[in-house]
Amino acid sequence: MDTIGADTKISNTYLPEKPELSPTLISDTELLSEFSHHVQNIARINNGSFGCCPKSVISAQQKWQLEFLKQPDDFYFNRLKDEILKSRLVIRDLVNADHVDEISIVDNATTATAIVLQSVAWEFLQGKFNKGDAVVMLQYAYGAVKKSLEAYVTRAGGYVIEAWFLFPVNSDGEIVSEFRKALERGKANGRKVRLAMIDHVTSIPSVPIPVKELIKICREEGVDKVFVDGAQGIGCVDVDMKEIGADFYTGTLNKWVFCPPGAAFLYCRKSNEIDDLHHPVVSHEYGNGLAIESAWIGTRDYSAQLVVPQALEFVNRFEGGIEGIKKRNHKAVVEMGEMLAKAWGTHLGSPPEMCSSMIMVGLPAILGISSDSIALKLRTHLRNNFSVEVPIYYRVPGDGVVNPVTGYARISHHVYNKPDEYYKFRDAVNQLVNDKFTCALLAW
Amino acid sequence: MDINGCDAKISDTHLPKKPKLSPTLISDTELESEFSHHVQNIARINNGSFGCCPKSVMSAQQKWQLEFLKQPDDFYFNRLKEGILQSRLVIKDLVNADHVDEISIVDNATTAAAIVLQSVAWDFIQGKFNKGDAAVMLHYAYGAVKKSVEAYVTRAGGYVIEVELPFPVNSVSEIISEFRRALERGKVNGRKVRLAVIDHVTSMPSVVIPVKELVKICREEGVDKVFVDAAHGIGCVDVDMKEIGADFYTSNLHKWFFCPPAAAFLYCRKSSEIDDLHHPVVSHEYGNGLAIESAWIGTRDYSAQLVVPKVLEFVNRFEGGIEGIKKRNHKAVVEMGEMLAKAWGTHLGSPPEMCSSMIMVGLPASLGISSDSVALKLRTHLRNSFSVEVPIYYRAPGDGVVNPVTGYARISHQVYNKPDDYYRFRDAINQLVNDKFTCELLS
Repeated sequence: MDTIGADTKISNTYLPEKPELSPTLISDTELLSEFSHHVQNIARINNGSFGCCPKSVISAQQKWQLEFLKQPDDFYFNRLKDEILKSRLVIRDLVNADHVDEISIVDNATTATAIVLQSVAWEFLQGKFNKGDAVVMLQYAYGAVKKSLEAYVTRAGGYVIEAWFLFPVNSDGEIVSEFRKALERGKANGRKVRLAMIDHVTSIPSVPIPVKELIKICREEGVDKVFVDGAQGIGCVDVDMKEIGADFYTGTLNKWVFCPPGAAFLYCRKSNEIDDLHHPVVSHEYGNGLAIESAWIGTRDYSAQLVVPQALEFVNRFEGGIEGIKKRNHKAVVEMGEMLAKAWGTHLGSPPEMCSSMIMVGLPAILGISSDSIALKLRTHLRNNFSVEVPIYYRVPGDGVVNPVTGYARISHHVYNKPDEYYKFRDAVNQLVNDKFTCALLAW
Repeated sequence: MDINGCDAKISDTHLPKKPKLSPTLISDTELESEFSHHVQNIARINNGSFGCCPKSVMSAQQKWQLEFLKQPDDFYFNRLKEGILQSRLVIKDLVNADHVDEISIVDNATTAAAIVLQSVAWDFIQGKFNKGDAAVMLHYAYGAVKKSVEAYVTRAGGYVIEVELPFPVNSVSEIISEFRRALERGKVNGRKVRLAVIDHVTSMPSVVIPVKELVKICREEGVDKVFVDAAHGIGCVDVDMKEIGADFYTSNLHKWFFCPPAAAFLYCRKSSEIDDLHHPVVSHEYGNGLAIESAWIGTRDYSAQLVVPKVLEFVNRFEGGIEGIKKRNHKAVVEMGEMLAKAWGTHLGSPPEMCSSMIMVGLPASLGISSDSVALKLRTHLRNSFSVEVPIYYRAPGDGVVNPVTGYARISHQVYNKPDDYYRFRDAINQLVNDKFTCELLS
């Protein structure tokens, strides 16, 4: 066992089957069939929230579930650990990590965040960090992450600082300078910045963040640790652990990599420091390293974590594998976003080069989106009356701006999407505008 | 919203459909079909470890999984919370809790333990408890629970006391007196006992603990909070929150209640104190009460938690429902245990009234089970060479005892078991003994 507790002998000699690009690429008919369980006649342009899972992976998952139920003791003693290791090896290769020990599989990014922040809490409580030392995060950090910071960092005496930047955003430079400013605030009064939490792509509003640059700045400014929230990561933007250089990185596999819900990874860069991260659900594996702990947190269904190799097989049925999928998604979502902005006379939330497989498109000001809850009601209205599934972001208008665009739709594009879905959205909003619809009508 | 964050209006007026006992009870053929996915020709006499899930429940689970994948946003916004609430209402009735707010659904008892113990850690850290105040648990507490106590209570400055229990055990009074002694140790030097963690049925070795009595003693002795770990709970022993009177109670639903892996509940008795338990995986629901938090800890598969009403329908296809199943399992496992003890010339680990749907049976001393790892090797040998699946417990022998019984098998009985399963085990051991097999051969 090494420091992090992995059985290094297995991982050094075991080579995962590198899935070759399939000799026959997936056909259009096969693709339709793989996603035929999606409710038809809905413009499902919100892959970013819950992802998707093709039939062949669902089928593989059900096989795993059955394997356990058929003979659970044998499965637990003889098969589970090896199979989780296989999944971890696939992920390691996918994200260019150095060593499989650095890869733990968890349910989702929310869990990964709790793991890292609980460890930070102990560091405050045990005096390794001083009360009042800072943790910096982005203003647009995911809701659950903000709550996790409250539950662990603030509660343990840390001081949380938000880096604000304007949306719509025009360049990386805007984000970088606001981040620098936040680090300055973090270091005021002799404080140290113990952790920087940076989204790889913010959730809503969705903007890809120049993480590599920000991490470089963190190193220059003496930030102890950097944690990148790549929930919208693999399949959406380039995810390369060595390139990015973070201490911790979490990515989901169910959003853009076709795994069923409940599969994500947490990368923890090997360092000389003793790693005292542990899974908050403590099992008998406590102390054996996060990867081993996460592979057994009590009896539950690990099948979503076990199908990672099968999900990658599915990915490689597409031209260019994950890279090809990512490029085509980006191209398509920019094209559709520009089409919508033109049709509505609005604008994009960020320049095309600053987006991923999602893009923010301004909604006509006349709709009168006036609050977060109104934005949610409009979303519901679009779902119920127009069969369009798309999240809406409310942006507080700047002072003195006339007829401001206060609502932005976050459209996603993934392999199952078709142009018609975006036309359906375009037409729905045009109809609302023509009918002189305003969101005031939704307020009840 | 009340303190625990529940929408009180929904839960008070919503009456769950109380599934009636099925007019047609499940037939033998149907029963066999429901468990036909179990690998055949294995004596699967270890329901206690991983439980079981019948085909009709698996099928219901897959429907739920598909519902989410078909239209996940709609499912999340319009269906998930209500579905979880339905499950919580079923559980509330099953365990005789006062209010559905007291019932949270989590993955398993291991998770429930982490929730309670993390909260205890904060109590120590924030000075509500003094460093060195005690937490008492049983020596036979489950491995994961011991680790959780280490990770949260010891780390936060608590002092952990283990209640030594004899095994084999002959009467509940042995357990009660040891428990009292542990509480005394807990209160030495002005310490307070802040938490007692008590198994309802210990895992290994498996013995039914007189929890109601122990909870009473805890109240008399001023223990702040009592947490009952009933991983083996519903379907295994009588589970009645008001009868037992604990502050926290957790039971798995996938062991003896036919849920797929994994689902469990954590009961938190409503009290006038502010409840600051929270799920360690913090989502945007943080602060809305444990039950609401647990129903959304990020995107994952909640289907095992959503099938609880369907599971109750399955249970009610048996005569007497869960009560009937429990009684028949107990009767059968005692009968089979006594049959084995007689065949091997050994004894049971506890009197029949102190066992549940599981019982400990001594293995012949000649097998020479000499350590925990040897016991595990014997288990593997039984699986690989005899197709018998049964966990083996190693009990260190007392001083000076000649030819002590050092190994005990924990046999379980669930609705799918047959006498042949136990005869197969009996014969396997007899063969090992006849072949003069000793565990040294396994090292």
